[in-house]
Amino acid sequence: MRDDYLWDGSGEPDPEVQRLERLLSEFRSTRTAPGLPAGKPIAGARVRWTAIAATLALAAAGAWLATRSAPEGWEVDLAGSGPSRLTVGETLDTGPAGHATVNVGHIGVLDVEPNSRLRIEQARRHEHRMSLEHGLIHAFIWAPPRSFVVDTPSAVTTDLGCYYTLDVSPDGAGLVSVLAGWVSFERDGRESFIPAGAACQTRPSVGPGTPYRKDASPAFRQALQDLDFAQGGDSALKIVLTEATRDDAFTLWHLLTRCTPTQRLRVYDTLAALAPPPAGVSREGILHGDRLMLDRWWDQLGLGTTTWWRRLEGKWAEK
Amino acid sequence: MDTVFALTAGYLTSASVTPSPVVSISDDAELARAARHGSRSAFGRLYDRYARMVHGIVLARVPRTEVDDLVQDVFLAAWRQLSTLRDDGAFGGWLAMIARNRAHDYHRRSREFAELPENLPAAERHSPEALAALEAIRALPEAYREPLLLRLVEGMSGEEIAARTGMTPASVRVNLHRGMKQLRQILNSEGRS
Repeated sequence: MRDDYLWDGSGEPDPEVQRLERLLSEFRSTRTAPGLPAGKPIAGARVRWTAIAATLALAAAGAWLATRSAPEGWEVDLAGSGPSRLTVGETLDTGPAGHATVNVGHIGVLDVEPNSRLRIEQARRHEHRMSLEHGLIHAFIWAPPRSFVVDTPSAVTTDLGCYYTLDVSPDGAGLVSVLAGWVSFERDGRESFIPAGAACQTRPSVGPGTPYRKDASPAFRQALQDLDFAQGGDSALKIVLTEATRDDAFTLWHLLTRCTPTQRLRVYDTLAALAPPPAGVSREGILHGDRLMLDRWWDQLGLGTTTWWRRLEGKWAEK
Repeated sequence: MDTVFALTAGYLTSASVTPSPVVSISDDAELARAARHGSRSAFGRLYDRYARMVHGIVLARVPRTEVDDLVQDVFLAAWRQLSTLRDDGAFGGWLAMIARNRAHDYHRRSREFAELPENLPAAERHSPEALAALEAIRALPEAYREPLLLRLVEGMSGEEIAARTGMTPASVRVNLHRGMKQLRQILNSEGRS
């Protein structure tokens, strides 16, 4: 049966849907917007990701965590079943029609879509960890970065203070899509940092691909996927470099450590044209994988400093 | 598999789907950015665009008589928390999550107090048939409740529901279809009895 009318009102009218529309429209709200309190929603601009701010944030995080008691598990509200508690080692399977809201200790909430299967691996005061075998979750985490980790069949997803969607298909492939904050995707030392507005795919036999803007051109995204997972080689790289804009600098920066030496030259030249490297960063150094130079170039991209990352990561520097 | 925030949240004008003032998510991102910097008029326009979504999400979860107040709470919370929104293009999904959390908090708080019954006779202003239809939807699994209420009460198209809430269009379509199927069964069985 086609559901065009139910979908958007087009196609042949469905009498039952029309009847319900008439009946239920009386429940629409007629209220106007609430009066807002005086002042701006925030004092000043957004948080700048400086080392100082990161230090303050980490200090505050420590104090915040110290005030929390250790939860014994996660509170789960499964549609149709009411609230229950999921403890370490237990599995939640929403099934084809199920939907669940999960409180991750005191640090965040998950919306778990139908056909999802997850298991709690750890529920400590400082660290919450789960595995997502397959399915789709929306994670909203307000705790300090790295408090929430999700294992998938092809990569580990680490929250860096954010709101994101993680979709794992039955074959183990995954897609993380970040709506606010940052997420890292890691496997076997290969790591991708995904900022808000970006996404990153992962494959069981490869690990995380290269992060990209969700509104990058379709050609760019397809070529990047070919490069990451389909041995797209030089032809795919050519499309990526041709389509790249200044906003894709973080994508090209990731490619600097993933391409062949010959390809790295081409990536360097394009990235340098879009986001010139700072003083002290040389072409030769980048081509030789100089980590300090890579870090300095990253700092220049306006996405936070590597100092901040390292405080969070602790092991990212050495490849 | 990708999320839908890059998609245009267009709508189809028809007798059943209420035209939305929304043109695109990128417009909303501009408004969110302006609101984050203190523009009340921009926040007011976001309210106009998202009030139906928030109302439908809350209506799917809390007693009908509490919905309007809770919708106002959601927008006030959003105004206060705008600093935590770091991708202005994600405003819709972020707001939907606040609405779900607020509804969840309502139930958590109400466990400490006795809840009032849903149908207080003196306050009722809806037809028995409309109330029965609403309760039938609210008895469905949560995954179906929300998209059906957004479609049938709020008049949003499936595409708009997806773009606004951050769910994938495929997920919205499946939930609408399955939810409507279950709803027909419930209404038919009630009609026979």
